Amino acid sequence: MSMSFEEKSVWIQLGAMTLSLGTYFVIAGQMLASGVREAIAFATVFMVAVVIMVVLLIGSYVVAALTSKVEGRDERDRLIAWKAEHRSSWLTAAGVLGAVTCIAAGVDNVWTANLLLLTLALSEVLGFVLQIAYYRRGV
Amino acid sequence: MTQEKITISNTIRTLRFGAGEMTQQELADRVGVSRQTINAIEASKYSPSLEVAFRISRVFGKRLDEVFECRAKPR
Repeated sequence: MSMSFEEKSVWIQLGAMTLSLGTYFVIAGQMLASGVREAIAFATVFMVAVVIMVVLLIGSYVVAALTSKVEGRDERDRLIAWKAEHRSSWLTAAGVLGAVTCIAAGVDNVWTANLLLLTLALSEVLGFVLQIAYYRRGV
Repeated sequence: MTQEKITISNTIRTLRFGAGEMTQQELADRVGVSRQTINAIEASKYSPSLEVAFRISRVFGKRLDEVFECRAKPR
């Protein structure tokens, strides 16, 4: 079964986010381990990761649009997106709770910010993985 | 509360071939969904909304229960 443009779009977002933010978290982890605590250093790496993600997304979307019929979302796509978001949003909530706990406990801001970013990214990745599973296995 | 397990099957593939070997893409265009959604409905991987189910039935000039069949099994 060939993929619809919407399913390709999910794969593209998953790939771009995993590559760019995955690289960011590896570098950020090494920085934290080596004692870097300046927020600007992390912000710079994060901005580079975001630019890479945007470039990857644009390039991939252009290729996908040229190689498949671009159709709007239909009811199945909307149901799949809704179900995946419904089952992945708990990670974002857990991240926010974790960040609030870190702030209350006086944990360093860069740790707190990176924890929040990590849970946001993981929530998105889980959402994309669930969408792909629903497209493949049925919903 | 015990609920029955509902399985919805359909005869879309047979109806397409009976309608001059209509392709999934042709049916999808007439119904207003993607070809992959028609494929998922035919394979019983997706149960369409009532609106889409009625649209499919109208394309073939059939009643809803001539296109879709519902089987219930106790869980």
